[in-house]
Amino acid sequence: MSLVDKFKELEEFREKSKLGGGQEAIEKQHRAGKLTARERIEKLLDPGSFVEIDSFVVHRCYDFGMEKRRVLGDAVVTGYGTINGRKVFVYAQDFTYIGGSLGEMHAKKITKVQDMALKAGVPIIGLNDSGGARIQEGINSLAGYGEIFYRNVMASGVIPQIIAIMGPCAGGAVYSPALADFIIMVRKTSYMFITGPKVVKAAIGEDVTFESLGGADAHAKLSGVAHFAVDNDEECINLIKKLLSYLPSNNMDDPPIVETGDPPDRMDEELNEMVPADPKKPYDVRDIINRVFDRGTFFEVHAQFAPNAVVGFARLNGRSVGVIANQPMVYAGCLDIDSSDKIARFVRTCDAFNIPLVTFVDVPGYLPGTKQEHGGVIRHGAKVIFAYSEATVPKLTVILRKAYGGGYIAMCSKHLGADFVFAWPTAEIAVMGPEGAIEIIHKNELMKAKTPEELKEITDRLVAEYRSKFANPYVAANMGYVDAVIMPKETRPMLIKTLEAMSTKREIQPRPPKRHANIPV
Amino acid sequence: MTIKVKVGDEVKEGDVVLTLETMKMENPIKASRSGKVREIKVQPGRFVNVGDPLIVIE
Repeated sequence: MSLVDKFKELEEFREKSKLGGGQEAIEKQHRAGKLTARERIEKLLDPGSFVEIDSFVVHRCYDFGMEKRRVLGDAVVTGYGTINGRKVFVYAQDFTYIGGSLGEMHAKKITKVQDMALKAGVPIIGLNDSGGARIQEGINSLAGYGEIFYRNVMASGVIPQIIAIMGPCAGGAVYSPALADFIIMVRKTSYMFITGPKVVKAAIGEDVTFESLGGADAHAKLSGVAHFAVDNDEECINLIKKLLSYLPSNNMDDPPIVETGDPPDRMDEELNEMVPADPKKPYDVRDIINRVFDRGTFFEVHAQFAPNAVVGFARLNGRSVGVIANQPMVYAGCLDIDSSDKIARFVRTCDAFNIPLVTFVDVPGYLPGTKQEHGGVIRHGAKVIFAYSEATVPKLTVILRKAYGGGYIAMCSKHLGADFVFAWPTAEIAVMGPEGAIEIIHKNELMKAKTPEELKEITDRLVAEYRSKFANPYVAANMGYVDAVIMPKETRPMLIKTLEAMSTKREIQPRPPKRHANIPV
Repeated sequence: MTIKVKVGDEVKEGDVVLTLETMKMENPIKASRSGKVREIKVQPGRFVNVGDPLIVIE
């Protein structure tokens, strides 16, 4: 073979490796409203930055006629490149060849980039589109999943792991995304479940569609498995880029600082009018968030899931922060099983990646009822306390209105290590709400009432008395549990100054050595 | 719960038609579209569940 022939051979292999399952399958993929694996990578990465790895890898299965179905690349495209100039590793499953199924060599390609991303200390992005385990390859497929999961866990808290579900993802395949930091699902073309509608029907007689069982909205709204639901591939890829802009490359790094052009000393007079003095009146806490942080930077995570809490990223004078807030507009902003999960998970994600926490509190307490108690609101609620206590990033808290009982403690109070607690003049920080408190404290006096009118009169008087005496920020400020009571409009400049002061924060007290803490999962 | 409209009233999209109390919070419930109130399916003091129809607008 001449030199020319040898070079030509390589060229031919290269061309062949780009085809995946062939032209017809590519067209089918397009008709389904989906981009191909290569098109997705091309849109995700900076132009010309993609470097492919393992494009000549093939499976080594000789059963069931598989030796005749061998395609270069084995249904996954892997490699690295840059997004807005920042290095990332990436893999994209190729549905056009044997349904993007995962066998031994396919898995080895993924674990190779997982290892490389971890060594390099840069984020890894997975674009999943796979029918699941390649049955023809038997337990070697299962071994492959196991190897991927193990690496997901090893990389957890070291490098950001973002996984987009852009096609089917069923059975064991769901657990790699579940172990990552963020899941994005595309509406109508993606679904995730442990067992599909057919098995559900056979096992428990339930009739359910793919979309209602495991579609993007089911997971973004009900299960909380997905952090984001988007309409199409393009939107999905843009969201990944945006999400990445708030995250550092690894746990030893800081998130990029972005010039937002919003003056750090800006005071928003309208903030003074945002929280109604009447504790029975709801409001949208996102209106406050949008006014405090750098304009247009609030990026909500888990927006549809447990909407009685709001979490997301934002910027304060260009610095990335994690925002957590109770949402008085939904269930009065109470904590419950799902909102506790949502908050705890987000706090831990931020803490792992050096993102300071800013918490806005307006919480009446925990949601009562058998559904909550029997569902384990105690152990789920405990996660919020655990996550906040454990977090060592700067922790700033702003008490807007209600901060009662266990809810007060859990929402990043001074007692859980908040570095700075601000309270607005509308804050009501007390052991419990006035109505409940007087029923206990003034039980005897209330029992003296002879008529319902008299009872109401006594109740109203005692509630008013309790409210003026205890339902304010000053009792807590007298104790130093609140560091400063501020005008709402001062919130932005105060947060920026405090964040600046705490940006070099180190936990002074060494924590006791341990194998690992035992969060009540 | 307080009901702010009666059968036959004309309402505009966004008008507050009732307030619903959850966790001691009075949530204003707004009309999802304009029209005439045909039926009020709830009474003050009663418990309602998520997804229950409250007021029918035609």
